[in-house]
Amino acid sequence: MSSFEPFNRLVRLAARAFYDDITMKGDNQPKTGRGDNRGMTVVVLDALTRRQWVREEDLAKALKLHSKQLRRTLRFFEEEKLVTREHRKETAKGVKIYNAAVAATADGQQPVKEGDEKNKMHTHSYCCLDYAQIHDVVRYRLHRMKKKLKDELDSRNTIQQYICPNCGRRYSAFDALQLVSMTDEYFHCEGCNGELIAESDKLAADEMGDGDDNARRRRREKLKDMLQKMEEQLKPLMLQLARVKDLAVPEFGGLLAWEARVHAAARVTGDSNASDFSKSSQGQGYGGTPMPFLGETRVEVALSGMDVKEEGTEPDTKSANVKVLPPWMIKKGMVLTKEQRGEVKHDMKSDQSSYAIDEKKPGVEKEDEKNLQDEYFKAYYAALAKRQEEQEATSRRLREEAEKYKASTSDLSNGIFEAPYDRQVGMKSKRADDENDDVDWEEAVPTGNTGETFKLADLNAQPEASGDDEDDIDWEEG
Amino acid sequence: MFFHITLERNMQLHPRHFGPHLRDKLVAKLMKDVEGTCSGRHGFVVAITSVEDIGKGLIREGTGFVTFPVKYQCVVFRPFKGEILEAVVTMVNKMGFFAEAGPVQIFVSNHLIPDDMEFQSEDVSNYTTSDGSVKIQKDSEVRLKIIGTRVDATEIFSIGTIKDDFLGVINDPGAAS
Repeated sequence: MSSFEPFNRLVRLAARAFYDDITMKGDNQPKTGRGDNRGMTVVVLDALTRRQWVREEDLAKALKLHSKQLRRTLRFFEEEKLVTREHRKETAKGVKIYNAAVAATADGQQPVKEGDEKNKMHTHSYCCLDYAQIHDVVRYRLHRMKKKLKDELDSRNTIQQYICPNCGRRYSAFDALQLVSMTDEYFHCEGCNGELIAESDKLAADEMGDGDDNARRRRREKLKDMLQKMEEQLKPLMLQLARVKDLAVPEFGGLLAWEARVHAAARVTGDSNASDFSKSSQGQGYGGTPMPFLGETRVEVALSGMDVKEEGTEPDTKSANVKVLPPWMIKKGMVLTKEQRGEVKHDMKSDQSSYAIDEKKPGVEKEDEKNLQDEYFKAYYAALAKRQEEQEATSRRLREEAEKYKASTSDLSNGIFEAPYDRQVGMKSKRADDENDDVDWEEAVPTGNTGETFKLADLNAQPEASGDDEDDIDWEEG
Repeated sequence: MFFHITLERNMQLHPRHFGPHLRDKLVAKLMKDVEGTCSGRHGFVVAITSVEDIGKGLIREGTGFVTFPVKYQCVVFRPFKGEILEAVVTMVNKMGFFAEAGPVQIFVSNHLIPDDMEFQSEDVSNYTTSDGSVKIQKDSEVRLKIIGTRVDATEIFSIGTIKDDFLGVINDPGAAS
C-alpha cells in the first residue's frame, strides 16, 4: 500500500491544480447560486484516492452526493482519462462478491451496503483511479500548457498578416500565392499594387499598426507573466511528478481481475476478516460510514465470555482463601449480561464493580456468616461443574440462586446499605471486597439515575424469583 | 496524410465509345478526369487503384450521352494542421519561401523561419545561417510543419513553419553540387 501514497498525492495535487473550479452543471440548470458545485470534483477525486474499485452508488452515499451528480462528475473524469469505469449487469450475488472483495481490502473506509436480495439484474457501475494514465495525463497536460504559452510567446504557429500601407487592405499568409509578384521579392496588393508589409514589422508606419504593436507587446508581457506564474504555482505538482517518475505504478487491473485477486488474498490471510466484515456490514447504517461502536461491542462480548471462563476456573484453584465470592461475582456478571449487555465489561474487567454488585455483596457476606457455608459451596461448585458442561443452563440457575439470596437476605433495601459496616468490622480477610465496597460507595453517589433504575429492575425481579427459589432450595438440598 | 478511400462519381460517356471496350474506355476516362484533381473534402486524388462497381447506364435525353455511376477506390492526399511534411522549395523571396509537397503548395513566411537565418538576395535568393552552414534556396528539400490550411472547393493551400525542433533543410542541393 505504501506505493500508493505518492500517486495519491499526485492525484490530490492535480485535482487542486486543474479541477478546482470545474463545475458539473446539468444542461438545464439555470440557477447559478445553488447549483454552484465547484470543488466537488476535488472531493470526488480525493475520495477515490482512498479507495480502489468502488461501486458508484456506494461512493455517492459516502460522499452524500446525488448519484446522478456523481455520475456526471465521473463521466467527466473518464473523459479526462483520470478514472476507469466499468459497468456490468449483476445479480445480488455479484454484489456479494464485490462486497467480499471490498472487505478484504481492509481499508476500513469502504462503504458497503448489502445489496438488495432481488434476483433482478441491475447494471452497476464501478470506478477506479487509473494511476498510470493519470501520471501520463498530468505530464501531457503540463507539457501542452507550457508549449502553448511558449509557442505563443515566440509567435510561432501564428498566421502572418500583411497589410497594404496605401489602401489599408489586409491579407493573410494564405493569400501568399496570389500576392507574390514575379518582378521583385515582395508581396503586392491586389488592389493598388502597393508593397505589402508584414503586420508586426517595426516599420509599420501607420498608426493602426503602431497600436497593434503595442497590444502585441502587452500580450507578450502577459504571456511571459503567465508562464512564470505557471512555473511557480505548479511547482509542487511537478516535483511530485518527478518523485513519482521512477516508482512502480500501482495497478488494480480490471474490476474482475481485481475482485479475484483481492478475494484470493483474503482467503490466504484468513476468512475471518471477510466474514466479520460482512457480519458487521449488516448492522451498518445507511450512511455507509462504518460505526465503530458496533465492531467494538462485538469484540467486548467475546472478551467478557473469556473472562467468565477464566474466573470460573479461578475459584477452583484458590478456593481456600476466596471461597464464595468469585462464583458470586460471576453469577452477578451473568445476570447482568442477560439484563444489560453494556455493563458487562465494567463488571468483569475492572474491579471497581458497579452498583449492582455493591448492593448484593453485603448481603452475600451476611449470608455466608449466618447460613451454612458448606452447603453453598457444594451448591456452587456443583453449579460450576455443570456450567462448564452447559453454560446456559447453569447461568440461569445461578441467576435464580442469586435472586434467591437477594430475596432471603434483603428484606428491605436499607438493610443492604447497612451491611458493609457490619462486614468491615466482622471480616477483614477479603481485601477485594473492601476495595469493591469503597469504590462502590464513591461510585454509587455520582451515578444516580442509572443506579436507581437498576435497583428498580432488581426489585421487580424479586417477587417472582422468590417463589421459584423455594423450589430450587428444595431441589438442591434434597 | 494519405488515405485510401472509396469514392463515387457519375461518368458521362459519349455514345461513340459504346462497344466491346466500353468498360476500358470508361475507366480510362475516369482516370483522366479524376486523378490530379482536388476536392476540398477529400484532398488531392493521387491515383485510382481499382474500380469497384459500374452501375447501370442511363441514357440522357437529347444528347445520347450515357451516365454511369462508378464506384472506385483511390489514394487521396490531404494536408492537416500539425502534420509534418517534406517538401521541395520552389521559390524564395523576402517574405519567405514557397514549397511543394506533391500537389500541395506551402508557404513559409519569414517569421516562421528560424531567427538565425537571414535572407540573402544573391543571384539565387536564399536564406542562410550566419555561419553559412545551412542554406535554403530553390530546390532545397525541407521538412516543415503545417500550421494552417485553407481549403477551397478545388484548391488547398497551406502555411508551414520550420521554426521548431528537427525542422528545416534535410538535403541541400547547393552543398551537394
